[in-house]
Amino acid sequence: MSLDLLHRRLVVGMGLVALAAFAGGAGFEPISTALATVALTLAFIWQPDSGVSLRLERFWLPFALLLMLRALYHIFLIGDDVIVPVVDLLLLLLCAEALRSLDAPNDARLYVLTLALIVAATAYRPGVLFALTFVTYVVLANVALVVGHLRRKAEQHGIRDGLVGRRFLAGMAGLSGVTLMMSGAVFLTFPRFSRGWAPRGEVPATSIAGFADQVSIGEHGSRIYPNPKIVLRVEFPDGTPQDLSGLHWRGRSYDRFDGVRWSRSNRLLPSIGPARWYEAWGEGRVRQQIYGAPLDVAVLFALHPMLEASSDNPGIEPLFDNAGDHIYWGSGTPSYEALSVADGPLPAALREAGSGFSPARNYYTQLPPLPQRVSDLADSLTQGLDNNYDKVTAINDFFHTEFDYTLELPRSVQEATLDYFLFERGEGHCEYFSTAMVVLLRSLGVHAREVNGFLGGQWNDFGQYLAVTQNEAHSWVEVWFPGFGWVQFDPTPGGFGGSAAVTSWLWPGRFLFDGLQHRWNKWVLDYNLESQAGLFHRVAELLGGRPRASQISPDQAPATRVGMDWTTLIVVVMALTTFVLLMRSRRHPPEVGLYLRFRESCSRAGFRADSGVAPLLLLDELARTRHPAHARAGRLIDYYLRSRFGGQELDTLQRQEMKSDLSNVRRALRQTRAPTDVPRGPLKEHSDPLVAGVARLWRE
Amino acid sequence: MFSAGTLAIGFAAINTGTNLLFLLFGAMLGFIALSGWLSERVLRQLEIRRGTPRGATVEKPLRITYYVTNQKRWFPTLAVSLIETGLPEPAFIGRLGAGESVAVGSENRFVQRGVYPLDTLTLSTSFPFGLFTKERDVRLPGELVIWPRSDRPVRLSAPPGGRGKPDFFDSSEGAPAARGEYRGLREYRVGDDPRDIHWRTTAKIGTPVIREYDHDANETIRICLDTRAEPGEAAEAAIEVAAAVAARAYRRGRPFGITTCTSDLDSGGGSGQFERVLDLLARVDFNPSAPHLAPPIDPMRCVLVSLSDERKGSYGACLVPADSRGGSLAPLGSE
Repeated sequence: MSLDLLHRRLVVGMGLVALAAFAGGAGFEPISTALATVALTLAFIWQPDSGVSLRLERFWLPFALLLMLRALYHIFLIGDDVIVPVVDLLLLLLCAEALRSLDAPNDARLYVLTLALIVAATAYRPGVLFALTFVTYVVLANVALVVGHLRRKAEQHGIRDGLVGRRFLAGMAGLSGVTLMMSGAVFLTFPRFSRGWAPRGEVPATSIAGFADQVSIGEHGSRIYPNPKIVLRVEFPDGTPQDLSGLHWRGRSYDRFDGVRWSRSNRLLPSIGPARWYEAWGEGRVRQQIYGAPLDVAVLFALHPMLEASSDNPGIEPLFDNAGDHIYWGSGTPSYEALSVADGPLPAALREAGSGFSPARNYYTQLPPLPQRVSDLADSLTQGLDNNYDKVTAINDFFHTEFDYTLELPRSVQEATLDYFLFERGEGHCEYFSTAMVVLLRSLGVHAREVNGFLGGQWNDFGQYLAVTQNEAHSWVEVWFPGFGWVQFDPTPGGFGGSAAVTSWLWPGRFLFDGLQHRWNKWVLDYNLESQAGLFHRVAELLGGRPRASQISPDQAPATRVGMDWTTLIVVVMALTTFVLLMRSRRHPPEVGLYLRFRESCSRAGFRADSGVAPLLLLDELARTRHPAHARAGRLIDYYLRSRFGGQELDTLQRQEMKSDLSNVRRALRQTRAPTDVPRGPLKEHSDPLVAGVARLWRE
Repeated sequence: MFSAGTLAIGFAAINTGTNLLFLLFGAMLGFIALSGWLSERVLRQLEIRRGTPRGATVEKPLRITYYVTNQKRWFPTLAVSLIETGLPEPAFIGRLGAGESVAVGSENRFVQRGVYPLDTLTLSTSFPFGLFTKERDVRLPGELVIWPRSDRPVRLSAPPGGRGKPDFFDSSEGAPAARGEYRGLREYRVGDDPRDIHWRTTAKIGTPVIREYDHDANETIRICLDTRAEPGEAAEAAIEVAAAVAARAYRRGRPFGITTCTSDLDSGGGSGQFERVLDLLARVDFNPSAPHLAPPIDPMRCVLVSLSDERKGSYGACLVPADSRGGSLAPLGSE
């Protein structure tokens, strides 16, 4: 394969990889991606001659103009996302350049276009696939740049023989590891000070079956199908709680029920208790680091009650509404830290909760028109009970014992009513249970509301986080207790979640991939100043040998203790090394060092080269035995004598020449030893009196 | 351009805080670092010898050969230009494997005669990526001797009434008596006739020696170049005339020698002698305060090449370059 063709194929490969990087993110446009893939693949296998290339250029031109106009239209008239139309133009230009003849001098343009595509890919939040494409791109670019450069030089100087072989190309590909290491080092260490504009990556939000801004119990048909899409990834910095399956990830609350649908009232008055009420529930706290997927509702999910929510993501701003629901402003991906109370209030305390501050008006006691038997049922379940807590638990237990959970939907509209659920069907999904409980409680005058969120999750060992999927979407109830605020109850009977487990045979692999994706999101896409500080702190801890902070759960893997003080060891080793090198360098100047090494090599080769032998006598001996090293040794000795005795300071070039001569001499001495048939006696005095005098000085 | 692009990416990364741009920025810095390291490696541990011809004529291509040995153990040397200071055309090494040697050359032309000292050879490469150029100087002392042209037309005929005066360029070439009497043995010099080598003595002492003969005095052309003048075009023309005379003598098989105001070359024959004359002429300088010309033989048996005709009567023949195109005058020895 000629250098031209090899280079072209490498660059087309770069283009394909860059396209994969872009298309693998949120910037995927099926038509332009498919067309570009076809064109680049064609460029890989077919290279037109100059005539065809010229005709093709005329063909591309109107399309390029069209795309340019489209991009300008998007930028100036619509004000829409500019990246996709610009990338379409980039792709067209890339394909056009790739389909030119091999002799076209378009190397730089091809490099720039592929690089621009990679840069465009970074504007979205590409997944972990970007890591693979990035590495591949760097390797290909490494080789392509070398081949391109050598190709141009060969053309310039009329060289026809092959300049590169497979081993060389493989070596250059291997050297791209240096580039990747530098890339990683800059990525990890370059300080993140910017809070620039919010990153792009407005991935089309997911509409979740099970969680929505409106909750309805009127669905009927077949069944609710499982959906394994992960919506939350939760880490527990202070230790993983024992019972992961019972964790309720609270999202949105709803106060108004019209018999079928739950919604939120407009202009809801503040309906939350003061923070001190929730803080008094218990001492335990749970810190959660939550990485959410963008949803169509800007909700911050967390364990209830959430005391604090904070985010380093400049794209979102946490806040809460009058209902106490935690939401956020902004269009960024929700990545935040939440602090929640670990334990609920004690039942005995809740029994003592009397009257007092209650939510305003009757938002949370509102009821639609219902059959009388619904309120009769509530009365019968709570007969003889004198406090709200017992009433709530009685109703809660009723559902747990008398009802079953199922994902099968009611077969008709008539069967989809709450009345049918309570008195005929006896089974349903979580929204029925929560709706029924709220209705029953409200009929008793207890302030209660419907809450949506997620329940439990799947622990990912690889990523060490809890993955909450759409399967875990759930509804439950919150009941108002004066002095304690909203306390959650879950009337859905056991069995929830089991049948909702993902049965896909791909799940283990998907879990692994999701773990990778999570790490990618956390350590690459969302890497920030805090992450940097944390990383350096962990490195320092590891080197310092200090144990990690105390843990909440014994499930947490024990911290590793390092026996030695690595920092001290490294410092000592470096100091010793520096000292030794310094001492060696200060012992004598470089020229003397080079001569001593020459002398040592002569000695090893069998020549008499101890400290009593003058340099020129040694040279004479080499000449007398007609040793191949003699030719090179002359200049080395000359420089040495000039520097050592002649007071001449050698310049850099001369020192380099000395080193080169030494290298040649040593090679020659290794190959040819001193002849043994030549009688060895005391070396004669050199005839030149000056040299003889120097020799005497040396011996002295 | 690559550096500018790197800075732009870095700036965009810092400004936007997009982490993936930091990756890209780091990769571009990595390319720069790798480029610097590889280009440095490529230029290291190269042993270079320069081979130059004994001389080259003005405006004729001069090829300088470089014998390069790659002393590295593993690493090849690729795409290295060898640039001689002051010469436009470099030599180029495409690929030189580890431990291999290669001879590469450059071809240049010189428009003026003279001695061009060579001191430093610059090794230059933009390997591996063509992003940056790295250079390294290697000291290789030497010189290039550019001979003057020797093809300037010279019309030189024997003076009238030439009794006692040398017959310039009437040659007894090929005649046995042209050699003269045997004088003795001397060390062989480049250009001597190999048929004159005395093989027995050569074998005995291990060094080639030739028989030397006394040339007939009338056969010898002694060129006297008067350098007492200002340097310039006329001076160069005079040098070319002197070279042309020597060339003609060489072609005709006549022994010839040359004397200038500051140097003298014994008579001799053959290509070696011709090269020695050209060498001398390459080095000669015109200077108005140079000593007077003092030919070693009777001036009447010399050909004077001078910029003035003041001494025309003292020499057997006198050539004064009319202009730079040649067209020497006939000898003015005639009364």
